Amino acid sequence: MVKSMLSANHAMAGLEGRPRNLFPVWLSLILIVLWRITVDLDIDFSTLAYGVSDMGEYFSRYRTPDFSRISTYLELILQTLATAFWGTVFALIVSVVLAPLAARNLSPHPLIYRLSREMLNFMRAMPDLLLALLFVAAIGLGPLAGIIALSIHTAGFLGKFFAESLERVDGGVYEALEAVGAGFLQTVMFAGWPSINREFVGYTLYIMDRNVRAASVLGLVGAGGIGLELNEALALFRYDRASAIMILIITVIIVIDHLSSYLRKKLN
Amino acid sequence: MASIKINSLAKTYDNGFQALQCLSLDIDPGSFTVILGPSGAGKSTLLRTINGLETATSGTVCVSNLQVNKQNLKSIREHVAMVFQQFNLVSRLSVMTNVLTGRLAKRHSLLSLLYLFPKEDYAIALKALERVGLEEKVWHRADKLSGGQQQRVGIARALAQEPLAIIADEPVASLDPRSSKEVLTLLRDICREMNITVVASLHQVDFAREYADRIIGMNAGRIVFDGPPSAFTSSQEISLYQHETMEVKEDAKMALAYA
Amino acid sequence: MQKWHWPTPNGLPPFHISIVVICSILLLALSASMVEISYNRIVNGWRPMVDFLGHLLVTPDWSYLGQLGAKMLETVEMTVLATAIATIVSVPVGILAAENASPHPFVYRIMREVLSFARALPELVWALVFVSAVGLGPLPGVMALAFVTVGFMAKFIAESIEVVGKGAVEGIQSTGGGRLQTIMFAIMPQALPDFAGTLLYILDHNLRAAAILGLVGAGGIGYDMVISMRMFEYDRIIMIAISIYLIVTLLDRLSDKLRKRIIHGKVNVIR
Repeated sequence: MVKSMLSANHAMAGLEGRPRNLFPVWLSLILIVLWRITVDLDIDFSTLAYGVSDMGEYFSRYRTPDFSRISTYLELILQTLATAFWGTVFALIVSVVLAPLAARNLSPHPLIYRLSREMLNFMRAMPDLLLALLFVAAIGLGPLAGIIALSIHTAGFLGKFFAESLERVDGGVYEALEAVGAGFLQTVMFAGWPSINREFVGYTLYIMDRNVRAASVLGLVGAGGIGLELNEALALFRYDRASAIMILIITVIIVIDHLSSYLRKKLN
Repeated sequence: MASIKINSLAKTYDNGFQALQCLSLDIDPGSFTVILGPSGAGKSTLLRTINGLETATSGTVCVSNLQVNKQNLKSIREHVAMVFQQFNLVSRLSVMTNVLTGRLAKRHSLLSLLYLFPKEDYAIALKALERVGLEEKVWHRADKLSGGQQQRVGIARALAQEPLAIIADEPVASLDPRSSKEVLTLLRDICREMNITVVASLHQVDFAREYADRIIGMNAGRIVFDGPPSAFTSSQEISLYQHETMEVKEDAKMALAYA
Repeated sequence: MQKWHWPTPNGLPPFHISIVVICSILLLALSASMVEISYNRIVNGWRPMVDFLGHLLVTPDWSYLGQLGAKMLETVEMTVLATAIATIVSVPVGILAAENASPHPFVYRIMREVLSFARALPELVWALVFVSAVGLGPLPGVMALAFVTVGFMAKFIAESIEVVGKGAVEGIQSTGGGRLQTIMFAIMPQALPDFAGTLLYILDHNLRAAAILGLVGAGGIGYDMVISMRMFEYDRIIMIAISIYLIVTLLDRLSDKLRKRIIHGKVNVIR
């Protein structure tokens, strides 16, 4: 019975030449879902179109940046950079400890592997601002809460990246170290990290870059840096100040971006 | 210098493949033994069991009267060095650092994790590199060397362990004929001069005849020949590798039957 | 002291590594006061942390479950909508920003600058700006997400178009195809599998970003988070945190699986 059905199917496929193209079905399904979402979110695109002229007017308010409070801004930008740096260093320390345990071919025990993988996943899943909100409540306002939030979130990222790189290393190298009687830590230090040194630096620079971006908004929840100043400027409708702050943030981020991509290029 | 005693060793992998079937073997201290056999005969499994990289399903392996098991693993590995087909060097570290890893089993302190080694280790590593003729490449990166040179670094790493035995798993399978000869000559000379027991698996029968003190032919997890090279005649060679062709034919038949 | 040394020709640690380590330590030491890290703070900082964790050990407020579900749905919807809009915008923008597909080098340069501008600031800053432009609600959130996503996605599309070899382009051009046809038939099919992988990464990132946009009133679960935090409603906070973790992890696993299948060619993105 089944066999005859199968062969019938085969015959059909032969007649049609190729399987039916489902692309139009998928496309219309996606469009229906998107339309439902706009209804659900109460987003009306006609008002958006209507508001385009208003938008022009709105953004013109940013045209005259006011740099009168520049020394405060620069100080806060430095604090932002310091927060990002401290966060990255802590994240690096945590991930260097966890990654070898979370690499399938290095981990001393499957249970430790699963546990550390889950731990990294958990740290990564929590958005950094949400963590910052929690830590501000726990230890009070200030950049320290931001540092802890950044380090937890990005340790999850770095740990996962490192663990995956460590898993890609030729297993024979780990085996050779095992065969000379080296311990777990010795294998990690001599066969693990040196084999992925380039990826190690690349990921760390990428995370540093990302943390500078993230640290610039930590101030919104009171976790230090330039973000709070921007929030206040907008709350007081001081668009000239907001504009100055945004120009400063963008400049710093672009400089860091170029610096890290320059360093990455130099590595290769 | 160590004797290796293997007593009714068997190994079955998780997928049900029987790599070794009740195999017994005594290897004299200071001898150069070559294991021959078709691929899949269990040569690699046998050699890796001696270093503890594989755990036997049943049976025992003793090196210098020390049984290979979980408790003795560290001291076994300290004294039984491995040389691999793919060299297995840490490619981004220098030749010197690679050779120094051979000292790790004797350096348990935190200092070793920071790549700090005592002076005597450098002397041992340098002597090992001189022995394999690579004293000029000490600070080169390992992956900048040719295949033959990399394998010689692998041997220097083994020497740095100051081992009683060296187990070489297909040490020349990835090398050209000239480098193969160099590496095998080196291994034989080390065996003779330093009285280190060497067990190597090879694919090339000619090399085995030239270098070995004793040839062991393996097939399907069993020993099918054991004797001096002079006793390993060409008819024996044919019967050793014959099985392989038969199996291939069977496989082809099976494949056809299922098609 | 001289007995132990490093495996380098002079016995000292490698130059560049020592420089990086020394500079980092110096920077950390110099900036410690700036980020209010002190010995005192580290020694005494544990108590409030432990106290706070104690607060979190409460039974969840089950009556909140309905609202939580609605808000999480809103977060996911914002993510999907913003990513969809960004995709639609990114394809033409990406083509304009690709060196070998752009109509004019000038257009290419301008587009690249615009895209790096869009990428420079985090979503939350744009959300702040758009909230003050169009008012509270999910709309500014979707706008902010879509804006930043275009910055990343169009750059990615542009780069993969550039990578696709000239051979394919010439093949179509030799049959007399126009510019648009060249792009549709030579470039798009080759870049698509790669693009699908990136899309999954972006969805993943946008979901996390959408979860916090509510902090500035731009819709999603973030708003509830701030309010519960201010009201010390720990029984709700713990629920929000867990649900964000669950949904992010779910998407993460899903996209990991999908990505692996796409890379192994099990899913044909286009036929």
